[in-house]
Amino acid sequence: MRSESQPDYMRRLKLDADELANRRRFFGITQEDLERLGALRPVAERHMTSIIAGFYDLLLEHPRTREFLGDPQLVNRLQRAQQSYFLGLFDGRCDLAYVEDRLRVGHVHERVGLPLKWYLGAYNRYLQLSAAALRKELPLAEAQLAEASLQRLVFFDLALAVDTYVAAQIETVARHRAAVDELSTPVIRVFDRVLLLPLVGTIDSARAQGIMETVLKRVSDQEAKVMIIDIAGVAVVDTQVADHLLRATAAVRLLGASTILTGISPQVARTVVELGVDISAMHTRSRLADGIELALSLLGRKITAAAS
Amino acid sequence: MVSSIPVIRIRDTLLSAIQGDLSDRVAEAFQGDLLSRLERTGASGVLLDISALDIVDTYVARVLVETAQMARLMGAHTVLVGMRPEVAATLITMGQVLTGIDTALNVDDGLALLALPRR
Amino acid sequence: MIVLETCALPIDSEDDVVRVRTRVRDLAQRLGFDAFAVAAISTAASELTRNAWVHGHGGTATVEEVEEGGRHGVRLQFHDAGPGIADLPRVLKGGFSTRRSLGLGLSGTRRLVDDFEIESQCGVGTHIVVAKWARFGART
Repeated sequence: MRSESQPDYMRRLKLDADELANRRRFFGITQEDLERLGALRPVAERHMTSIIAGFYDLLLEHPRTREFLGDPQLVNRLQRAQQSYFLGLFDGRCDLAYVEDRLRVGHVHERVGLPLKWYLGAYNRYLQLSAAALRKELPLAEAQLAEASLQRLVFFDLALAVDTYVAAQIETVARHRAAVDELSTPVIRVFDRVLLLPLVGTIDSARAQGIMETVLKRVSDQEAKVMIIDIAGVAVVDTQVADHLLRATAAVRLLGASTILTGISPQVARTVVELGVDISAMHTRSRLADGIELALSLLGRKITAAAS
Repeated sequence: MVSSIPVIRIRDTLLSAIQGDLSDRVAEAFQGDLLSRLERTGASGVLLDISALDIVDTYVARVLVETAQMARLMGAHTVLVGMRPEVAATLITMGQVLTGIDTALNVDDGLALLALPRR
Repeated sequence: MIVLETCALPIDSEDDVVRVRTRVRDLAQRLGFDAFAVAAISTAASELTRNAWVHGHGGTATVEEVEEGGRHGVRLQFHDAGPGIADLPRVLKGGFSTRRSLGLGLSGTRRLVDDFEIESQCGVGTHIVVAKWARFGART
């Protein structure tokens, strides 16, 4: 089953011919291993059904994994996918197409939300079942060689599965972070060429940097002439925060726009003066409404009462 | 040396769109070019469009500020136009606030600023 | 930290300032740095190359792609055999005004990068290493 939206893990994990060669060397997979496994394909085909059944017995008898496999139809479909995965181990190849196929398997399991630990545990069962089957069919020495070859290839597959899990997690974290960044800097267009940023909460250095970048991007994209920053909801205004606001103001000026700071409470005014922070370069107002009026006057406009 | 950066005259204003990777030498040559154009034309305004610059280091920033100061001594008002957000953030992070030069978002705003009565 | 790619560039003319920073910019863009991070590391490269040329009488710039804990980064090393920096703490604090850099060169550059190390010995030269990392989850 090929998922339409499968990310390009091959590119993201830099899985090219070089990387493949590196991995094969590291896991000790030789041409001999692949030929040995390729020759065992008929054996694999004979035992496939019982091995896969044993594999699913493990998943279904364990309550934590059973909940991922509630739907008998899903189990059916997965079992078919599992068959092609299992036979893939006995194709006698380990090339880029093989790798792509393995990444797809990892991706599918990540997508259904199967935790990595169950995935790894199931692999272990796989190896045990396969080893038992090989010992039934082959003289001990040969079976041991085949087991070792199989183990190397399965570990190679596991590394790919772990890579897809990690890549997917990184993607999720990045997406969440982008969402949080967006929420923490909600820039609103209040009027033609006037933007408003109501700041809420705590401002540390990392957030201040993000605020500056967002403010600059929005001013530039929307060609805003005035940026109103309302700090009524900022928990603590100390020298650090004042410094961040001054920097943002200076940066906005470099673009050719002005900043108005509003929501300045008596406490904040006192702190700023007592700390000796020089904010004389900033336009400031106590109330947001006054800030908006000041913004309009900077644009040469004003609000007037409608004629009755 | 003559820089490769064109300076266009529009009525009373000199407009220059600075392009490409500005080397120290080109920046200095440009300053010379611009000042001699100012002398020849007697223009009262200068617009420096830097929207094409993706890197402005402290050296180039200093050349820009000094150019504005020199132009002012020669009677012209300079406006720096179209600085990119990432350039502004970088300069501020380095502590370079470009005091003494006016700024505008685009050439339109720059022209409007030049048209205001002189401070 | 793993070094994935390294490229040494000589600094023996003023044009190398542009050459080095262009190289750094291209690498940072390839690693998926956002526009702000690209500008920061490229500008740092510009400042430090000029520093090595003007104050160190030339040297080398090494541009490296590095990886650590799944994150990719750009590491830059600058070597010069110039006179060295006599008053390092003061220069790093900023406001040390030399003719060509407004005194913001080194102290400002330090704030643009994630890692910054400097070794300088009078009469021997200066070695500066800086690094900037892609944000977690940046596409590479």
